[in-house]
Amino acid sequence: MAVYKRRYASYLGSVTPERSRFLVLTRYAFTELFASRFFVILLILSLVPCLFFACYIFLANSKTVQMLLPMGPTNLFSVDARYFTIMMIVQTQVAFLLNCWVGPVLIAGDLTNGALPLFLSRPFSRSEYVLGKLSVLALLLSGVTWIPCLFLFGLQAGLARNGWLWSHVWMVVPIVVCSAIWILMLSLLSLAVSAWVKLRIVATGVIFIAFFVPAGLGEMFNSIMGTYWGRLLNFSDMFRLILAQAFREQSASGILGPITWNQIPVPAAWGVLILLCLLSLVVLNARLRAREAVRG
Amino acid sequence: MMNPTIELNGLEVQLGGRTILHGLTGVLKSRAIGLLGPNGAGKSTLINTLLGFHAPSKGSVRVLGLDSHANGKELRSLVGYMPENDAFISKMSGVRFVRYMAEVSGLPPEQAMERAHEAFVYVGLGEARYRPVGTYSLGMKQLAKLAQAIAHGPKVLILDEPTNGMDPPARKRLIELIREIREASDICLLLSSHLLRDVEETCDEVLILRNGKIASICDLVEERRANRKFLELETIGAEATFTSTLEGLGCECAVFTNGRIKVVMPDSVEIKEVFKVAADRGVQIRRMNHRRDSLEDIFLNAMEQTGAPDGRI
Repeated sequence: MAVYKRRYASYLGSVTPERSRFLVLTRYAFTELFASRFFVILLILSLVPCLFFACYIFLANSKTVQMLLPMGPTNLFSVDARYFTIMMIVQTQVAFLLNCWVGPVLIAGDLTNGALPLFLSRPFSRSEYVLGKLSVLALLLSGVTWIPCLFLFGLQAGLARNGWLWSHVWMVVPIVVCSAIWILMLSLLSLAVSAWVKLRIVATGVIFIAFFVPAGLGEMFNSIMGTYWGRLLNFSDMFRLILAQAFREQSASGILGPITWNQIPVPAAWGVLILLCLLSLVVLNARLRAREAVRG
Repeated sequence: MMNPTIELNGLEVQLGGRTILHGLTGVLKSRAIGLLGPNGAGKSTLINTLLGFHAPSKGSVRVLGLDSHANGKELRSLVGYMPENDAFISKMSGVRFVRYMAEVSGLPPEQAMERAHEAFVYVGLGEARYRPVGTYSLGMKQLAKLAQAIAHGPKVLILDEPTNGMDPPARKRLIELIREIREASDICLLLSSHLLRDVEETCDEVLILRNGKIASICDLVEERRANRKFLELETIGAEATFTSTLEGLGCECAVFTNGRIKVVMPDSVEIKEVFKVAADRGVQIRRMNHRRDSLEDIFLNAMEQTGAPDGRI
């Protein structure tokens, strides 16, 4: 089908491996994202807290700098499980904001003008389509959660020495696992919203509503019934509960607010997050179809 | 032995608890197949089933020997699909959109880019390829859909109402393109339309659906070959000798009131011989309508008749 010949010809060349073809969607989505200046600024801003955390590590390990402080050398600066728990909480909230901007456009753009049948009429399944879109959020949110956390962990290990690495190496697992849980939940939720609501601003609003309205309703339920179980509807708190347990926090105060360990069991928090993921999958399954089913 | 293009084995499809396709059975062997039927006949459902979007509730359908359900992925790797409705990503430039689709089909990025440019120039949108697809006119969007369907070089091209919303010159250009694609390669074509002319101009075989059942499977090539010529005459002074002379030439005649005569002529008889007989017998021919059996006749005939159990009429 060369241009100068103006004749149709079949394609007889090589094809890319099927199992990695979902990455085409990821690549194209990233190209679109990085074409937006606002997104680039947002991404840079979302890494700013990491700079402060890095400064803290530097401060904690530099006696020279500590001497310059009014109180002189002190043991106030400690880089331990609590430090990483707080960092994880900050960065997961940043990831939430980033997700609210990026997530809503990923599927809606394809659904608005009916492009989905074009993907699915190719050797490309619905799950591969979701995987391709999910990878965009997974890579992006990883860049602001566990990757900078591990980087700072490495920085601290390098600066502290004296066996700090070996006594704290167990924290690598909760950093990665808790980030993965949060990223998966956020990604699935925003993809489900993106498949359901086509307008970005409305979709962003729906994601906020999905997080804050149930939390508010839960608090109302708690006040009326005099219980703590309404807290189950606060997904951020449920994540913090898992996070605190994973980082072996002895006391949850300050991280979980008024909540205590025995009020909401951690398996219940896991159940809520898993349920939210399943619900998102159900919505995706219902919305991502090449054709609507005829009813009646 | 070569596989038939489409093989329907008691295909039944249910959507939302309603049966849309009722046990379709038939074999279509031609390289260019037209899918005809009134609105709601099940054309798009059949196409969606071929593409694996709907699973058959009973029976099966095979395209080039591949089962649409069991070998769905393999089959879709051979297919280029141009849907009936809008199908594009509005913010992407035309060529980027086609490249994207080609890459999803499995073409490496460089080849996809090359083929996207070629496809755009081929369908006549070369000048508009860097514009966002959302800014295209309806006709241009149709051509962009065709470009994405052919960019990866499919073996089966499925076109669902390709000329929808196009003005006559654009329609003519698109039909020419489809014919060109068909003739330039060994591609198999399935064209669904409610415009008989589109199908007549591009296809060799027609599957006519009605209420989710096969009303007719018609080999247009064979039909064209065996087609008979009809003459509708309005005459003054025609007597029995006029018709008997025509019958003597091999024609079949039916005489109606007010001198109206219908004549079915064999291929060996030319119209000038009818004039000659009329002149010899002193018959005035006041009006003459000469026509061949068209796809429209076949279609209307299929719509009027009840399908036989195997779907053939």
